[in-house]
Amino acid sequence: MAVCTIYTTQSLKSTCSISTPTKTHLGFHQKQVVFYSTGKRTSKRGSSSSCGPCVITCSAGDSQTVVIGLAADSGCGKSTFMRRLTSVFGGAAEPPKGGNPDSNTLISDMTTVICLDDYHSLDRTGRKEKGVTALDPKANNFDLMYEQVKALKSGVAVDKPIYNHVTGLLDPPELIKPPKILVIEGLHPMFDERVRDLLDFSIYLDISNEVKFAWKIQRDMAERGHSLESIKASIEARKPDFDAFIDPQKQYADAVIEVLPTQLIPGDNEGRVLRVRLIMKEGVKHFSPVYLFDEGSTISWIPCGRKLTCSYPGIKFHYGPDTYFGNEVSILEMDGQFDRLDELIYVESHLSNISAKFYGEVTQQMLKHADFPGSNNGTGLFQTIVGLKIRDLYEQITASKTAAPLEATKA
Amino acid sequence: MATLRFHSLIGNLGSIPALSSCSNPRMSASFHCNSKGEKRVSRMTVKAMGAAKYKGTQMREKQLAEMIEKKVTEAKEVCEGDETSDECKVAWDEVEEISQAKADLRLRLEIEKKDPLEFFCQENPETEECRVYED
Repeated sequence: MAVCTIYTTQSLKSTCSISTPTKTHLGFHQKQVVFYSTGKRTSKRGSSSSCGPCVITCSAGDSQTVVIGLAADSGCGKSTFMRRLTSVFGGAAEPPKGGNPDSNTLISDMTTVICLDDYHSLDRTGRKEKGVTALDPKANNFDLMYEQVKALKSGVAVDKPIYNHVTGLLDPPELIKPPKILVIEGLHPMFDERVRDLLDFSIYLDISNEVKFAWKIQRDMAERGHSLESIKASIEARKPDFDAFIDPQKQYADAVIEVLPTQLIPGDNEGRVLRVRLIMKEGVKHFSPVYLFDEGSTISWIPCGRKLTCSYPGIKFHYGPDTYFGNEVSILEMDGQFDRLDELIYVESHLSNISAKFYGEVTQQMLKHADFPGSNNGTGLFQTIVGLKIRDLYEQITASKTAAPLEATKA
Repeated sequence: MATLRFHSLIGNLGSIPALSSCSNPRMSASFHCNSKGEKRVSRMTVKAMGAAKYKGTQMREKQLAEMIEKKVTEAKEVCEGDETSDECKVAWDEVEEISQAKADLRLRLEIEKKDPLEFFCQENPETEECRVYED
């Protein structure tokens, strides 16, 4: 049996697969390329082969999918954070074409975003019967979540269930092929320890109660049936489960984006101006925290002054080391709003370790999505920066696998 | 459903500032502005401004709007007895789920300008749900 071994460097731009059927005649969900060669052939990269049909398998076990976990309470796959993240890698993320129109999945060239609600073990009726909310772990199948994330991580496609948020039912599964970057987004990405161990990087979006209320007002106020009272009641009723099951995950996150009301306007609790804190764990592999001016020191910075004029209420930054749930962290904080482009570029030019590929990349990304919520404050800024850090992490992980042997076996 | 835009920045998050909606005739139609300039949501139906292209999606929007109303009423009833009961929190969780689903649909239509049925309707233009919605 002839064995063809080809060495390749995986980089951001190259693809491991060349042309790949998802399911081969062998019935495996694996990336396979079939070469038909006549007689001896010497490839400049490898050894010669005298095989007839040569099946070269992009070996699943060697080229790992990078898995990112995002804990958020604001729906799945359609959130602004996801859009910014997929945009950093290029290409728009779209629902799978030709599939269930109610699919929660988003797919772009590099990334696939899976909504963890798809792993509900109880549909809406089931949850009502048992008296559990979607926040409760009892409503979720963590075994299946673990198995499928593990499979995708090792390069094997899976048939993932679909939870239909409109009907409240579990729809027939959809095929998910292993992407370069898999993002699992939802309420419980870090709840189960086994799933946690599969994550290369994890983020928790921590919205304070006041801001959550303000955002939900904006979301729901125009809906018939809703009022300030109903919006408030809904948040209050979900709070106990949220505090018990969702909130504790933030201690495991590599990065927490905390969104609070501003401190710049005394007495302001309308949530218009935001104070956003990027809490970054120290010592995470392939992740170097963003800093201001002098890493490890404590800095208070107001960029507005002689060189930069800002409108009210201005912008205030803070950076410094701290501890968070017993972990060493660095915290970068922005309070206020950007009103003009030059404020944004000015701030960007003073931040370090943002993993941008060129000067002004963060600003460019923010401008690209100026219509997204948070584009004028720390939420957009930090989400974009985290996106760049994830790209950096991905490149580091894949570069460390410079020799990814592809084994060819006779078909 | 009125499109909400704050100040000069589109998509600026936050609650509705007291003055702008009450002085804006387009928005004040959906909000009762009392003498203090505070807002209350009117029960009046506001015309959908989403870019629903296909009938199926337009029906879906309507269905979700009705569900929200229904579920909020249900939740209020269920919670009357005991606000801390399991039934009460499940009822409000359902309200949250449907509200989010409606918001997601609206986001897709207004900001991404893509009808979720787009691909399906390209393949099946003759189906009932793929009739193009005429205003």
